[in-house]
Amino acid sequence: MRYLDLAIGKALDLGAEYADIRVQKTSDEVVFLRNLSLKNTSHNVIYGYGIRVFYQGAWGFAHNNVFSEKAVLATAEKAFEIAQLSAKVNKDKQLHLAPERSYIAKYQTPVKIDPFSVPLSEKVELMMETNRILLGYEGIKQAMFYIVSHKDEKLFASTLGTRLELNTQWIDPMVSATAVTDSDSQSRTFDEGGRSTGWEWVLELNLQEKARQIAQEALIKVKADVLGPETRRSLILDPNHLGLTMHESVGHPTELDRVLGWEADYAGISFATPEKLGNYRYGSEIVNFMGDNTLEEGLASLGFDDDGVPAQKWHIIKDGILKEYGSTRDTAMEIGLDYSRGCNRATYYYDQPINRIPNLYLMPGTKPLTPAELIADTEDGVYIQGRGSFSIDQHRLNFQFGGDYFWEIKNGKLHRPLKKVLYKSCNPEFWNSCDAICDERFWRPFGVINCGKGQPSQTARMTHGSAPARFRNIRVGGSQ
Amino acid sequence: MNANFEKIAAYIKQHCHADDFSLHIGHVESHETRFAQNRITQHLAGPTFSINLTVAFENRTGSASVTQDDPASLDKLIQTACDIASLNQPDPEFVPSEGPKELPQVQNCDPAAQELEPAKMVDIVQYMIDQAKAFDATVSGLTEKHYSQRMLITKNGFVGYDESTDFGHSMTLKKGTVETKVSYDSKGLARFDQAAEFNRLKEQAISLADKRDMDAAPIAVILRPYALQDLIWYMTWMMDRRMSDEGFTPFTGQMGKLFFGEKFSLYSTLDIPAIKAVPYRDGIASKNTTWIENGMIRNMPTNRYWAKANNLEPNHIFNMYLSGGDATEEQMMQMVPRGLILNQFWYIRSVDAKAGELTGMTRDGVLYFEDGKIRHAVNNFRFNEIPHLATRRILALGPSIPTACSAMLPSLLIDNFNFVDKTTF
Ligand SMILES: [Zn+2]
Repeated sequence: MRYLDLAIGKALDLGAEYADIRVQKTSDEVVFLRNLSLKNTSHNVIYGYGIRVFYQGAWGFAHNNVFSEKAVLATAEKAFEIAQLSAKVNKDKQLHLAPERSYIAKYQTPVKIDPFSVPLSEKVELMMETNRILLGYEGIKQAMFYIVSHKDEKLFASTLGTRLELNTQWIDPMVSATAVTDSDSQSRTFDEGGRSTGWEWVLELNLQEKARQIAQEALIKVKADVLGPETRRSLILDPNHLGLTMHESVGHPTELDRVLGWEADYAGISFATPEKLGNYRYGSEIVNFMGDNTLEEGLASLGFDDDGVPAQKWHIIKDGILKEYGSTRDTAMEIGLDYSRGCNRATYYYDQPINRIPNLYLMPGTKPLTPAELIADTEDGVYIQGRGSFSIDQHRLNFQFGGDYFWEIKNGKLHRPLKKVLYKSCNPEFWNSCDAICDERFWRPFGVINCGKGQPSQTARMTHGSAPARFRNIRVGGSQ
Repeated sequence: MNANFEKIAAYIKQHCHADDFSLHIGHVESHETRFAQNRITQHLAGPTFSINLTVAFENRTGSASVTQDDPASLDKLIQTACDIASLNQPDPEFVPSEGPKELPQVQNCDPAAQELEPAKMVDIVQYMIDQAKAFDATVSGLTEKHYSQRMLITKNGFVGYDESTDFGHSMTLKKGTVETKVSYDSKGLARFDQAAEFNRLKEQAISLADKRDMDAAPIAVILRPYALQDLIWYMTWMMDRRMSDEGFTPFTGQMGKLFFGEKFSLYSTLDIPAIKAVPYRDGIASKNTTWIENGMIRNMPTNRYWAKANNLEPNHIFNMYLSGGDATEEQMMQMVPRGLILNQFWYIRSVDAKAGELTGMTRDGVLYFEDGKIRHAVNNFRFNEIPHLATRRILALGPSIPTACSAMLPSLLIDNFNFVDKTTF
């Protein structure tokens, strides 16, 4: 595309020390069904480009949706003017970009069946049938089903000589049933988050069978007991629950921009400060977290980030010790690193990229251990599946989580279903209380598609994962 | 009226042959200067533009949106929306688009905000950084301005157009272990005084310098207006009429009944120039609405389908005005033996939708008072609380002030606010 060279040439002519242009076309197909009524059936395209200029230790970023030579040149000029304004403020405290080489590369999400090529009528028919199954259960008053199919087509060029063509996509199906009685209403949801894959995943899932299961479980849940007063108990957490817990309590605190205080005004900062690198016991010895933007079907597996840095895999926590952060070219050098981990991502063309959580997952246990064995080995605890309420402070220390489905464990057996369970814990108590993780046969991914951060606010995606794991001596009780 | 919008509308009217359609066009021109730790870390400018078309053939619907307005893009837009509708199944809850409406005259634009130069915005940032340095502190935040135009037309004859401006400045100061924030968000700059804004932040930081450890327990709180804002947003999200009628929320069966505290009244209003009011939403004209009056639920937000199905009037919350009182913070502190003053809440989430229970944390500084006087700052806390029950424990209200573009709220003294946990900071 001729606009790439035009923008880069203009930025260099003006005096940019570094510049890049990202042409990005984002397509979303949304089908949202509630009680057999199609609340949203849409195909949305957001298409434009953003030009980023680095000048005297400061950024300027301008974006446009008009494709013409005149508009591209004017946008590059605007980015440069803004960078000049930023530079005046930063004159005593410049930003620095970590070194990076140039790349000429292409990346495409491996997909067998492109969801955008599946006829809408086929999707709607599957969803309607699933909705009918849910509503066929007496007591189910709300049946929901949504499928979002997402595609990003990007061209990236930078003054380093990098030229990238990145075509990535993901899909996210979610089915939910809500049971209502005279005194309560409770939902049960099938939600594995999004995955960077094609329609073949939806076919494999057998969602109609899943619908029967969640309808039955919603009816069990609405009549279930409440746990009662908070006491210290064991927790066994499923991967589709633990995904969100690790997102909030490990993912965000290890974003280097938060560590540096760049999110202080909104998303918050981090307790996991640089002097803790290499010596801070974040978790027990069996706790190993990888940052891995090469993960198969990972939502942050995009080939390259929006700095033009290639996808990497590295330890964030090793044998329980904090090792490294997720970083970007402009954050890395603040703590003396001479490389970026490739975590700079923007949501749409009009967003300036920011430091994001990579695909981040808990490594499975190294000794053979099944979930059944883990439950059999637990005297007094609660087994939690699915995501529920979640809330954490802005330093990422104190948190409270709910879940979607709960069983009390007594003497090694699933004793009774529960509802309204909450647990409270904090860093580093929580990950240090992890005393067992099932083995790799039970490792499952969980994709987050709605990670909000930044001013202006952006929504990023990344995949987490784990095998079921046990946490000892956690404060667990019923709500209120 | 934006001439380009009219051109697009004319094209769609001429080329879209669906039984029904609604066309939304939106254009926003933004400038956003983000600063952190006394320097600029991000700096953005540019337009965003979208054209969204929803069509119907009988009761089969389809929607599409694009960000370009050349004839080929508009043809594709029409084609995509119509293709979706033709492949779709009938929607039993389909409601035809609205016809012509008389819309309220609103003034959501401030020329000073519209004309604000980027260099001036950077001057504001520079000023705050200089002040922070002089105070041996750091500031992080965002200075932003937006000029938005939007239009809705329908096949059935509705035509709506409105413009608005938004100027925002928020900043968090950090000095030692003290972190606190102030924010300004309004359609214009009329009330923005950079020196006063920094002083407010500095005074807040000074008041928090002596911080002591305190355990969580139910206690009286003075919610300053900015703290109340987030709590009310979450509570109003639960007030949807349909969700209530279908049994999913705590408000089921409570319409017309005394359900909130008698000191609590909530309105959407077109009559207060300091807060914005969109003139319409989904083709429904905004009009003054009493949601809660002296604790009695008078209205709940009702969408067009639910209104039609149940013979109700559709409505929406287009801004929030909570009528205040005249109690000062000093007077409130005299009314209870001890309590906490809260600047802000953070990370509020629903814990139990049917009970209406929320969780969340305090942020940006908590002050402890006893015997009518502020004694010292304390750590942050977590609450698990049911807001409508908390309104029954309101002991006093302060005067309402604009807290955001579309919110005007007072401070509240609430007894026995349910704190359940604390942080180490
Ligand atoms: Zn997140």
